[in-house]
Amino acid sequence: MDLQLSETHLKFRDQLRAWLEANMGRPWREELRDPNATEDSLIELRRAWQRKLYEAGYLGIDWPVEGGGRGATEVEKSIFEAELARADAPPILNTLGIGLLGPALIHHGSEAQRRRFLPPMLSGDEIWCQGFSEPGAGSDLASLRTSAVIDGDDFVLNGQKIWTTFGPWADWIFVLARTDQKDRYGGISFILAKLDTPGITVRPLRQITGESEFGEVFFEDARVPRENLVGRIGEGWRIAMTVLAFERGALSLAAAERYGRDLRLLAGTCKEIGRESAAVREKLGRLLVETEVLRANGLRMLANLADGKVPGPESSIEKVFWSEFDKRFRESALDILGPGGQLVRQSAEARHDVDWAREFLWSRAGTIYSGSSEVQRNIISKRVLNLPQEGR
Amino acid sequence: MKFELSADQALLRDATRDFLTSELPLEKTRTVMEHGADGYEASAWRSLADMGYIGLALPPDVGGQGLGTIELAIVLEEMGRVCMPGPFLDAVLAASLLTAGGEKALAADVVAAKSLVTIAHQDAPFAGTNATATTFTGGRVRGTKYFVPFAAKTDALLVTTPQGVVLVRAPYDVVPLETFDLGQRFGEVKLDHPGTLVGGPEILERVDLLAAVGASAMMLGIMSRALELTLEYVQTRQAFKRPIGAFQALQHRMADMLLKAESTRSAVYRAAWCLDTSDPQTALVCATAKAYAGDAARLVCGEAIQMHGGIGFTWELDLHFYFKRAKTLEQFYGATEVQLEKALVAAGY
Repeated sequence: MDLQLSETHLKFRDQLRAWLEANMGRPWREELRDPNATEDSLIELRRAWQRKLYEAGYLGIDWPVEGGGRGATEVEKSIFEAELARADAPPILNTLGIGLLGPALIHHGSEAQRRRFLPPMLSGDEIWCQGFSEPGAGSDLASLRTSAVIDGDDFVLNGQKIWTTFGPWADWIFVLARTDQKDRYGGISFILAKLDTPGITVRPLRQITGESEFGEVFFEDARVPRENLVGRIGEGWRIAMTVLAFERGALSLAAAERYGRDLRLLAGTCKEIGRESAAVREKLGRLLVETEVLRANGLRMLANLADGKVPGPESSIEKVFWSEFDKRFRESALDILGPGGQLVRQSAEARHDVDWAREFLWSRAGTIYSGSSEVQRNIISKRVLNLPQEGR
Repeated sequence: MKFELSADQALLRDATRDFLTSELPLEKTRTVMEHGADGYEASAWRSLADMGYIGLALPPDVGGQGLGTIELAIVLEEMGRVCMPGPFLDAVLAASLLTAGGEKALAADVVAAKSLVTIAHQDAPFAGTNATATTFTGGRVRGTKYFVPFAAKTDALLVTTPQGVVLVRAPYDVVPLETFDLGQRFGEVKLDHPGTLVGGPEILERVDLLAAVGASAMMLGIMSRALELTLEYVQTRQAFKRPIGAFQALQHRMADMLLKAESTRSAVYRAAWCLDTSDPQTALVCATAKAYAGDAARLVCGEAIQMHGGIGFTWELDLHFYFKRAKTLEQFYGATEVQLEKALVAAGY
């Protein structure tokens, strides 16, 4: 057992820290509270920040050099995520493109697709959204009905996608569409579509936070060239499942950095407003405990990655842990702060360090997106605990 | 970086598991716990010492093997798996304190199981009771200590006082304090005895950290085994013409049990590693590991009982030993409430 970063990884981390020191503007929480900030201005800020990271060689860290990446490993990627969280850097804009589609193209795409799509994905010139969920297909994703029918050199797409994160600002969408009505899994294909294609309409959906970070996408006889198929016809499900596995890495480390920072700010506020009763201290203590255990899980994952171990279904444990903890964290913060915790960001009385009201509402999302807690627990039961399928 | 055990550490784990499952399985130890006055067997205790377990993480000059906290955690995890009764952790902590205080001859005796020494810590029977501290003045220790581990079997006690840790040698009167955990025996000791100062209060700092990690490691073994037993049971027990493990209502709770057990594993071994490498975060990491492990062990063992149904509530089934042992480990060696405050202080809050 050794939980110390190797010399190489330490050097990577220190160089990154120095780079962030020199190149990062204001912390993200300060950008958010800027009275002049608008949804659009924040999008452009994130795009510019992404480009800066790209030009410095910090995006696509674990991608091969031929794909425009750094050619490093998931260890460097995890360290990168943790350091950006530590610095409270703005989030990049193209998270779904770089996080999901990039690996899909690297592993399943054609050379031409890689050359065409990867560079603008990394630079932030083309923003991607993910067309997986449908009104009738959420956790039961394979029951999706959006269809793609071959007609000459095109696919003709019909159907509807929903909860499409970044839909309102994206340029492109990667779609899981049904190319065979009878084959539940083998009848799904992975297709790329430009959102300004005639027949495609994006409509924003207002979220419980008041923002419209996701939307719905309608396909009405939208024609997409056949060359936009990733992999082969009917390979979409397999590609989607392997790609979802790339959403892993030692995410808990970055999460622990964020909770650690917010907790520090919360504890500071408690001192300042005189909230130091035993009940408050117990709440703070419990948040600290789970933050440190989250960090321990992250270090273990990072050490396993460095040790050449490929993470398997245990990443579901990681997902359940942080997303469920997020709810407890944000609820406790509001309990501690009292009604002032509900104040919206624009309010002069609101705390300026953390947007507690927004975080409280956002915490309801984490246990739903990217595989709900229920889906993750199914995965743990079946693939880790080897329990029988339900009803058998 | 590497989280997995080294080859030597894995060997230690396997050898310990073999020894404990053949020599100290619950079917044997439960008889000793139920019917023996001491709660553990002298012969088994001697073999643990002979095999070098008590001195595992102590230096060679007190007869120890000079291994680290990680190795100690590995052994304690295995002891938790068989729900081993007896003063193992208490003796290790006392020997460690004696070594730190320069009482090497007595430390060596504890390591060799020639003497038993434990730490008399608790100044009141209930938490939060307005405690009168035991004091050390003019060479004498005066006061009453509660929940002294295996007090009746000890040859000496390490008594905590505001003035420091004081060594008091037997004889002293011990009133047994019987709790539901038969793997642990406690006593109340009234002291008005001559004693020797072993060290100032700061000497307890490292031992307290070791106690937190050690108890957590044992709870890790306890909850891991309770989960295994539950997984075996739900695959065999049939209801409504299928194994009850096929019901999602149980599956999701077992997924959470695994989450707790594996997160405890990350926390415990990180804490052991921090202690061994003198990491600046050690105090925070040990306190948080103990606080987490206590809650996790109670939850996992409680769920194990629930999923076994009626049989889970019987004396006959082993699970209650796990449930009770976990509660002792949670409430002693720095209770959750204490660890939460320690963690906050360590973090500067």
